[in-house]
Amino acid sequence: MADAGSRKTKTTRAAANRIPPLQAQDKLTFLLSLVPYLMDHDRVSVEETATHFGMTKEQIREAVRLIGVSGIPGETAQYQHEDLFDISWDDLEENDQIILTHRVAIDDSPRFSAREAAALIAGLQYLSSLPEHANRTAIATLTAKLSRGASSTPSQLTVQSGGMDDTLTLIRDSVDAGVQLEFDYLNSRGERERRRVDPLRVESLDADWYLRAWCHLREAIRTFRLDRISNPSVTTEPITHGAADVKLPDSLFEGSADDLTVTIDVVASAAPLLADYIPDGAVSVEKDGRLNTSVRVSHYHGLKRLIASMPGVAIVTGPPDARAAVREWAAAGAARYE
Amino acid sequence: MSAAAQSRIPVEERLFSLVLALLATEAGLTKSEILSTVQGYRQRYSTSGDNANLERQFERDKDDIRDLGVPLETIDSPGQSGNNQNLRYRIPRGDYELPSDISFSPEETTLLNLAAMVWREGSISGESRRAILKLRSLGVVTDEPVIGYAPRLRVRDVAFEPLTAALDKHVIVRFGYLKPGEQDARVRTIAPIALIQREGRWILHGEDQDAAGTRNFLLRRIVTPITTTNTRYSAFPESATDAAKAELDRLWDSRTGTVEVEPESDAATRLSKRRDTTVQGSILTLHYSDLDLLADELAGYGPEVLVLSPDALRTAVHDRLARTVADHG
Repeated sequence: MADAGSRKTKTTRAAANRIPPLQAQDKLTFLLSLVPYLMDHDRVSVEETATHFGMTKEQIREAVRLIGVSGIPGETAQYQHEDLFDISWDDLEENDQIILTHRVAIDDSPRFSAREAAALIAGLQYLSSLPEHANRTAIATLTAKLSRGASSTPSQLTVQSGGMDDTLTLIRDSVDAGVQLEFDYLNSRGERERRRVDPLRVESLDADWYLRAWCHLREAIRTFRLDRISNPSVTTEPITHGAADVKLPDSLFEGSADDLTVTIDVVASAAPLLADYIPDGAVSVEKDGRLNTSVRVSHYHGLKRLIASMPGVAIVTGPPDARAAVREWAAAGAARYE
Repeated sequence: MSAAAQSRIPVEERLFSLVLALLATEAGLTKSEILSTVQGYRQRYSTSGDNANLERQFERDKDDIRDLGVPLETIDSPGQSGNNQNLRYRIPRGDYELPSDISFSPEETTLLNLAAMVWREGSISGESRRAILKLRSLGVVTDEPVIGYAPRLRVRDVAFEPLTAALDKHVIVRFGYLKPGEQDARVRTIAPIALIQREGRWILHGEDQDAAGTRNFLLRRIVTPITTTNTRYSAFPESATDAAKAELDRLWDSRTGTVEVEPESDAATRLSKRRDTTVQGSILTLHYSDLDLLADELAGYGPEVLVLSPDALRTAVHDRLARTVADHG
């Protein structure tokens, strides 16, 4: 799909490391996972446990307090003291330390569910061409372990590898050496420039890969599509901005006040394909299987490519200059065959 | 116990107590033993009255727990087979616990963390989140990759969720499928074999119940909601998925189109980086598995691309561009 230049949405904005609120099933999984972890640690701080599980300290304390009063009905079916887990309550409340002093029922970590294993296996396949994955047998070994560690055969979910080019290896080399990376870049307006950057993070959306970097030409953080990068080379110039020094915005594509609003008519079932361009709060009207809504783009260069790649599926209804930009683009293309 | 006291027992406490109770029993517990003794149920159990609500709660809880991969099983009481009231429930420890010879190195844990990050949407993101909690249970400390990665796969097709559920439960599905060039969608009845992602698009590979044979369906061409039937099929072997992947690879390898690109253009840059493209100056040979998808992609490049061959692709791209002109006239 063509790149419409600027996308801003619920999903892209959510991005990086947001932890969604835990559902009851998540909380149960967490409790069943926390117990074996605590069994392996005679004494561990709430803070270390929180960091390890990627949770807040209060979430850890709550879970530990619940474990401390839980157990099995036991012989008497009365939840007698010896039928319950116990923790050192003083250490928890006074020192923020967790010590499990008595345990019941649980000896080990739970298996993965078939769908959990399938999700991880498909994720591994997608990432199989990252430089970190250089060793193919490691992936096969991991897949076998996940299958064996699942409660039943993982669902058949398979994903083609991201298929990235050598640019990714060069990016990694430049980060390893702490030096700048240089490449020719063609932006979405069709302008080509030699850029020199400090690489910060590699991101992807399906088959599209992006480099987020500090751009020395623009003196700002920029997002580069890997497939628009050519002639990359690792320089000897040290970087001035490391990933630790820069706070990357969550969203890959930053919206701006200058963005243009365009109304479109799209086949309702295809509307999710445009979700990235439809702003929060856009008014959408569905009629006869088609959706009337609006999209926001930074310029028409991207819009015309996007709409021309969805013939009959998405039609720009206004403003007139947006319709004209799409029409002229498609007409110039059609003319090559006439 | 009062209603207020009942409501103070959170769902996760009831579920946790149920798992603990069923793990601790060798012989299993009957439903009434569970409802009358397990924390979270016993507070609502009536020794004389009607426990229908509580029984329904237990049924839902069982489903929720099994969803997490916990092997909650039922066993007939000896000599009482067929009597539902005497069914016994338990969680066999060996099927519950991760086999003790499975461990993950720090490098492997790092890769798995990254693999889980890939899913950010839909129920599959919940599954990868829970898989990671279980992985962290093992206490392995990870190393961070030298450069941060934020890889993401999206599941924008509305058919994805119901199809993964059907795949998991091995039930036959029905949906309307619109082939390019056809006017009306045709209803297909399919036993799902695998969901395969290629070039960023999801494909359902399944056995067509009306046409005796396997077929591929692009999820984005499914035009009706998925109807899940109650008909179960027996699971296909993993080799069926491998065969489907090999067939898709064979199609991709054997189908090519030749295009001329405007030098230095977006088309020249991006199409030359497309998977398996051969470049000879401004002439590119592109691989594809579906002509209509490639035609859509090429139409997006407008005048930057001229299709040289095959004729069907030339016509398809030209028709698309003409259609876009007409729609915007």
